[in-house]
Amino acid sequence: MSEYAVRITRLNYTYPDGTKALEAIDLDVRTGARMALVGPSGAGKSTLLLHLNGVLTGNGTVRILGQALDPKNLREIRRQVGVVFQDPNDQLFCPTVYEDVAFGPLNLSVPEEEIPRRVERALRDVGLDQSIRNRPSHHLSLGERKRVAIATVLSMEPAILALDEPTSNLDPRNRRHLIELIAALPATLLIATHDLEFVLALCSRTVLMDRGKIWADGETNSLLRDSALMEAHGLEVPLSLRGCK
Amino acid sequence: MKHNFIDRYANLDSPLHLLEARTKLLAFTALILAVLWIPAGNDFAFFAYFFLTAILMGISQIPLMYIVGRTLVILPFIVLSSLAAPWKGIAGLSVLFLRAILCLMLLIILTNTTRFVELLRGLRKLGCPHILVLNLSFLYRYLFVLTEEVLRMRQARDCRRVCRGPMRGELKLLGSMLGTLLIRSFERAERMYQAMLSRGYSGEFQVLAPRKFTWRDLAFLAGVAFVIFVTFWSGQIVKVWTRVLA
Repeated sequence: MSEYAVRITRLNYTYPDGTKALEAIDLDVRTGARMALVGPSGAGKSTLLLHLNGVLTGNGTVRILGQALDPKNLREIRRQVGVVFQDPNDQLFCPTVYEDVAFGPLNLSVPEEEIPRRVERALRDVGLDQSIRNRPSHHLSLGERKRVAIATVLSMEPAILALDEPTSNLDPRNRRHLIELIAALPATLLIATHDLEFVLALCSRTVLMDRGKIWADGETNSLLRDSALMEAHGLEVPLSLRGCK
Repeated sequence: MKHNFIDRYANLDSPLHLLEARTKLLAFTALILAVLWIPAGNDFAFFAYFFLTAILMGISQIPLMYIVGRTLVILPFIVLSSLAAPWKGIAGLSVLFLRAILCLMLLIILTNTTRFVELLRGLRKLGCPHILVLNLSFLYRYLFVLTEEVLRMRQARDCRRVCRGPMRGELKLLGSMLGTLLIRSFERAERMYQAMLSRGYSGEFQVLAPRKFTWRDLAFLAGVAFVIFVTFWSGQIVKVWTRVLA
């Protein structure tokens, strides 16, 4: 078991239209760590997450669990890295919830007898009732869809989870449930988010990105308290940290 | 938003629902073809098929109003094409009309007794190309996504509109809405592909356990074949019968 879940060295990425999205990114994430990726919109957080499972490929090295990304081992990498996107509608494309959650394991050639168990467990882990299995995703509320989207990735039992804005558009109750759910997951977590209170609650380490570069990387509390840093990059010190020095 | 189009009643439990998808696909296709091939004068055949369709409707437990409602939606188109029929006169019109109604009802029964997913799987097993089935499955799923987007766009438009403008302005607006929808669909397709890749998609779509082929399926196919056989030879049978009775 490698010590580092993710090692990114000098990663550069330019969009097809010429916009520079990532510049000389160096990032190491220890196995079991919970890391938050914060920054203003357009900083490149989502783009970085998409490099973790080879959906996007830039210049530089990305090593997942010790293995460099390579067309030959992409399948194995995608088994180990689960990416959950911001909009659940982009990830729920099967006619029923069951099939969406089973999609991942099926693609990984998990034996057919094993699939129902995985689906059941994934749905249970995200706090959804098993009766949701046969319902089509367009009959679900946004909160339920977000949870199903996470379940679709959990059923693959990945070692690393990359979440893009998991709490966006959630009402307070759903948000709380989500925080509890994520807190209980054993995987290494990389979470891109604007929700700084969420970061405070869950992640011990925070990386600040802006305009494609990493500007700060350190312990969450001290980083988020730095008002000069926060404001320079379009963020602000979270309410719970203000007024306490 | 809750909306159901193609297979609203596909989750019921009637005897028809229990049959395997392939059985129904074959049977209903055969019935539809048979209906299309009924010679114009053969009233017995028409009656037989209407009777059969009524029985199938009854067994399927699909609400009558639903079937009638759906059929009526296509009515204008049927009427228009009936007017272009090669057969002249009321007889000609009604023949086309009746055929269309029958075929449509059969189709509605088919899609509402089989879950769309199983229908696709049945098609695949019967040899339909993978890419076609894949596209149909996306169509089904994203029909709802697109509908939601259209509804939202319409809401947004209505919020910023005081009254309906001249026709030309309205059409222009509609045009841009459609264009935007198209672009959004492209972008969504790309994101969806990324999501699929992220979950290990490598080209072939795997599907899970459906209904199995049982004696019921065999019996149903046999029954349908029998009805078609009888109606095709009904002309002869009626002749023989009248001769016997005479």
